[in-house]
Amino acid sequence: MTAALTKSWRGWLLPFSVVIGAEAWFLFNPILSDTLAAPSKIIRGAVETMMDGTLLRTTYQTLFGAAAGLFIGMAAGTACGIVIGLFWTADRLSSWSVEMLRPIPSVALIPLSLLTFGYGYRMEYAVVAWATFWPFLILTQHALKQIDVRLLEVSRLMGFGIFSRIFKIMLPAAAPRLFTALRLAVGLSLVVAVTVEIAANPQGLGYGLMVAQESLRPDRMFALLIWVGLLGWALNYILVRLEGRLFAHRAPGLAADA
Amino acid sequence: MKRFRVLDIVLGILGLLTLLWIWHLVTMLELIPRVFLPSPAATIAALEWGLVNGDLLPQTLATINRMIQGWLLASLVAIAVGSLIGVSAIARAYIQPTLEFLRPLPASAIIPVAISIFGLNSSMVLGVVVFGAVWPTLLGTIHGFAHVEPRLVEVSRLLQMSRWEFIYKIGLPNAVPDILAGMRLSLTVALILAVVGELLTAQEGLGTAVLHAARSYRAADLYAGILLLGLIGLVSNYGLAIADKRILAWKN
Amino acid sequence: MAQNAAIELKDVSLSFGSNEILTGIDMSVEPGEFVCVIGASGSGKTTLLRMIAGLLPPTTGAVLLHGKAVRSPTRRVAVVFQDYGRALLPWRRAYANVSLPLEASGMPANQRPARIRQLLAKVGLANHEDKFPGQLSGGMQQRLQIARSLAQEPDTLLMDEPFGALDAMTRQTLQDEVLRLVAERKTTVFFVTHDIEEALYLGDRVVALDSNPGRVAYDIKVPLPRPRDQLTTREHPEFLRLRREMFEIMNKIHA
Repeated sequence: MTAALTKSWRGWLLPFSVVIGAEAWFLFNPILSDTLAAPSKIIRGAVETMMDGTLLRTTYQTLFGAAAGLFIGMAAGTACGIVIGLFWTADRLSSWSVEMLRPIPSVALIPLSLLTFGYGYRMEYAVVAWATFWPFLILTQHALKQIDVRLLEVSRLMGFGIFSRIFKIMLPAAAPRLFTALRLAVGLSLVVAVTVEIAANPQGLGYGLMVAQESLRPDRMFALLIWVGLLGWALNYILVRLEGRLFAHRAPGLAADA
Repeated sequence: MKRFRVLDIVLGILGLLTLLWIWHLVTMLELIPRVFLPSPAATIAALEWGLVNGDLLPQTLATINRMIQGWLLASLVAIAVGSLIGVSAIARAYIQPTLEFLRPLPASAIIPVAISIFGLNSSMVLGVVVFGAVWPTLLGTIHGFAHVEPRLVEVSRLLQMSRWEFIYKIGLPNAVPDILAGMRLSLTVALILAVVGELLTAQEGLGTAVLHAARSYRAADLYAGILLLGLIGLVSNYGLAIADKRILAWKN
Repeated sequence: MAQNAAIELKDVSLSFGSNEILTGIDMSVEPGEFVCVIGASGSGKTTLLRMIAGLLPPTTGAVLLHGKAVRSPTRRVAVVFQDYGRALLPWRRAYANVSLPLEASGMPANQRPARIRQLLAKVGLANHEDKFPGQLSGGMQQRLQIARSLAQEPDTLLMDEPFGALDAMTRQTLQDEVLRLVAERKTTVFFVTHDIEEALYLGDRVVALDSNPGRVAYDIKVPLPRPRDQLTTREHPEFLRLRREMFEIMNKIHA
């Protein structure tokens, strides 16, 4: 779906007309606005954020915070997902707890995380890890449950032990779905990281946006906003492409519609 | 079958109780300082006191109010606009790529823009909630309208149904599952953005309540607030799941 | 000619780009006639039906209904599709599915219930009006689609392999029901099938299509007495003779 943007000129018409319309509007109403900025000003703002190092520094901070949190969430979520997916009792024992804990919105943990870790990377990891833990837990569990029974029977007949079965049969069989979980979680980690930075943490792109707003620099603010959008879009695009490439040979359509 | 379900419930509760017991042990042994992790008993007490004597109840209602208001408004806009875009293949060709590009944009990133437009007040929060909650339902509605069974399009042509009749007799009912899926996601997003908005603007609500609790090291109050936010998420999820089942009875 | 033909095809051809689907089709169906069209897959028989329905314009030639050229679908013509699972509205109960054509034709709401119940009773679904299509068996769903098509009160019924996806027993029952229903109303029927016996059993005439591109190969009258009966008709010497003839024809076509 994302490829649609490059596929047809018609998709470009709307964004282009918005840009040209905005530029024209500012040309004929040359007022200094604290809220909005002409596209040409935004481009200059973008160049400025690049030159003074803001863009690189904040992008690094956000991506690092998101990635580290994602890694923790993935490790914990996948591990718990495997246990729950494999053992019936673990599934039943955890069912109520998962139901109760999962709906806690990640942002509710921002104050707690702040209290516990103070400002900095660690509070960001914690919130991102909480948010990404759940998709990994749920999707791993589902992925394992949806493995063809026949495949499990075959692995038993071959006399594999439990660990061989997990690593040789189950995880490879579940790989496409696990990758889907990763793709969703990557997007989520970026969203949560930026949110944490906007709400509390004085670092990264989210904070950069807030600073630009507070210092009445709408040009810089919109430049960063568009950059955040591009970043999210590009990450998703790369992962969708990778997903298609990696798993094209099995279950046609799975990668496309997941 | 029934025996099985009873066992499920028993095990589920057992698991939850075990978790609570571990929590209790951790605080008893002070493995984690009480400032960061209060005991379950203290949390429950704070919850009870806050709801009965304190202002936890009005704060909860304020957050719920904000979430539901923004969500309803967003859903209305999303379904109306989504139907208009979804019905026409031409409109989709022009607009959908832009929407697909905007979708991965973190809704919270729009907050600075909203602040500069509205200021730090409750309309800003509502605006952000609406903006964020519009996307899932909007894209769901468009998807639902774009994927009508071609056979049904033929049936509508054979019966010489008007475009309007097609929209509300075939297009809209066909899109309902996608719309509902979008609305469920939207509600989660609405809660998240309502809380973020409160964290920033100090408007009355649970977001503000937990932030104040954290700032003044009242851990039990903090956990009580988080618990309530989880409860709001849980109840709203269940409510929509039940509505889903009712409305989509024909799917099973 | 005293009366215009119910369906008339005049030198109809259809091609998509350089791909010729149908060529030089001349055919006419009298009012009240039951015509079965057989042909292998790829002979364009379904395409022909869609052109008569007005869903697809011919590349050259003309399709006439009662002397008038077809440009778009009309409610006087009803279509029964093979894939009943897709042609019914899954979110509407049986009752409301039959109601759809009545709503489209603007029948006042207070007149609809009696009509709907009558139609459902006619196809043996009187006790299932509250079920969703997904809760009905394949045969029942196809009955429902037939009831819906009859709700249009069409003077022409186009059926596209309507029983192709059903088991043998259900198929026979439905064949007899369709014969009974159309005889009552003297409906013209254009029935597409790939089953020679079904075509002979149902039709007043059988038209065989040759493929690549589709064209009329043979057009045979079926002088079997009506009402037809699954046992006696299928054992009738004329039925057996025609069946043999048709098999030979079809073999020759595909040789």
